[in-house]
Amino acid sequence: MAARTTSVAFDGAEAGLVDVQVQVAGGQQPIFSVVGLGDKAVTESRERVRAAFAALGLSLPSKRLIVNLAPADRPKEGAHFDLPIAVSVLAEMGILPKDAVEGHLVFGELGADARIRSAPGALPAAVAANAAGLSLICPEACGAEAAWAGGDLAILAPATLIQLINHFKGTQVLARPVPGELLDAGTGPDLAQVRGQEAAKRALEIAAAGHHNLLIRSPQSPDGGAARFRQVDDGRAPAGSPAGAGAGRIAGRLDDPLGRRPARTRPADTDPSLPLAAPLGLDGSNGRRRYAGPAR
Amino acid sequence: MRARPGEASLAHRGVLFLDELPEFHPQVLDSLRQPLETGSITVARANAHIVYPARFQLVAAMNPCRCGGGGDGGTGCRRGPRCARDYQARISGPMLDRIDLQIHVPAVTPADLALPPPVEGTAEAARRVARARDIQTARGYLNAHLPTDILDHVATPDRPGEALLNEAATAHNLTARSYHRVLRVARTIADLEGQEGVRRIHIAEALACRRGLFEATQLSAGVALAAQ
Repeated sequence: MAARTTSVAFDGAEAGLVDVQVQVAGGQQPIFSVVGLGDKAVTESRERVRAAFAALGLSLPSKRLIVNLAPADRPKEGAHFDLPIAVSVLAEMGILPKDAVEGHLVFGELGADARIRSAPGALPAAVAANAAGLSLICPEACGAEAAWAGGDLAILAPATLIQLINHFKGTQVLARPVPGELLDAGTGPDLAQVRGQEAAKRALEIAAAGHHNLLIRSPQSPDGGAARFRQVDDGRAPAGSPAGAGAGRIAGRLDDPLGRRPARTRPADTDPSLPLAAPLGLDGSNGRRRYAGPAR
Repeated sequence: MRARPGEASLAHRGVLFLDELPEFHPQVLDSLRQPLETGSITVARANAHIVYPARFQLVAAMNPCRCGGGGDGGTGCRRGPRCARDYQARISGPMLDRIDLQIHVPAVTPADLALPPPVEGTAEAARRVARARDIQTARGYLNAHLPTDILDHVATPDRPGEALLNEAATAHNLTARSYHRVLRVARTIADLEGQEGVRRIHIAEALACRRGLFEATQLSAGVALAAQ
């Protein structure tokens, strides 16, 4: 009888459910293989799981151990499959209860020391768990982010694999993580610092109020140029204004009447070496950030 | 399939600021047309289509011409009006069409510097913005994203306003998209004032905010005349 649990594969910012099935079959040769169109990070998770088990003093059964990630034809990428694979292997070995494991969506990267490392995409994973009626197991570092997905979602956020095992044994019960602090959008330069330029200030206000696109054309000059307005524009939407929708507004978005899908938050982040700057941004990325134009 | 969200998706629900807009590759700029219209980006590969959310507010800044001094009658530019024309033509018409507010900000004059400091700062403006946003939230959409069928219900201008808009649309060959975008901006202006209906004065201000576009059309009309 195979053990199974659930994880997610990302398709853009959407998280699709992936069944993680583990079967230990007979055979003299110890084999541990992962099938199901995983990328390099997924295949390498065998070694991380093996190392983490060794750190706990566990050895893998010296039999054929097959991990199947279903649907098998859907490409899967990322290191967040480590934890679901480890959890279902533990269930197959009888260390975790199989039926308890089946009701969880598991997500996280394993270190060789059995620590559970954070992985990008915790919020979409939590939203997917919510929609599927599953509880969530995610890294401790992602707990605050996952907790934004909603109040009724049961979340376990262990820091190490041993904590997770102890939780299921009942010796060290984990508490639900609390939603993370909302980041203040911060304050930039103030409009009050601008003398004159009433028409431009008015246009900034209209653009902020209606989320309109804005093009500012301004001759180069030491103090009247576009660069100065760029700063003013960044400061135009202070914390507390809906125009400040950015990293700090993620919680509000989930029950947002404007009805757009939540993704995950990222801190305000600009790279001055890039001609493109997105001072306020939200994404469903896996944390890699490159200068890419609109998308790649 | 290795797709990663780019800058447009990272700016989802926020501001995408592009400084020195004409310096971007024309292809990069025109690839922004899809997200500006639909609020999402589709990355197509042989084996998969991936959709990223990308509903951002585009704020762009540019100099009127390459040497940076043109604009105010072209006085500061060493190469004359042609410099500005060439430089501004690097942004395609369909791209400009999607930018609701296009303003020219002249250099600060000494007279401006002599003015007393403004009484209003960001906090006051943000309060008005918040109030206007509340009205829009109650309506269900931000004005920039209003679907056209709802736009017809909530932003129908009064009779003088409609006359003005139609006049401007004929005079400047407004596209249907521009026409609707003027209505959206007018709706926002009315929301800022807390007014129920869209009136002539709101339409007039919204039209004035698209000045850049009109200048461009006048420019091309001028070129056409010169060619004859």
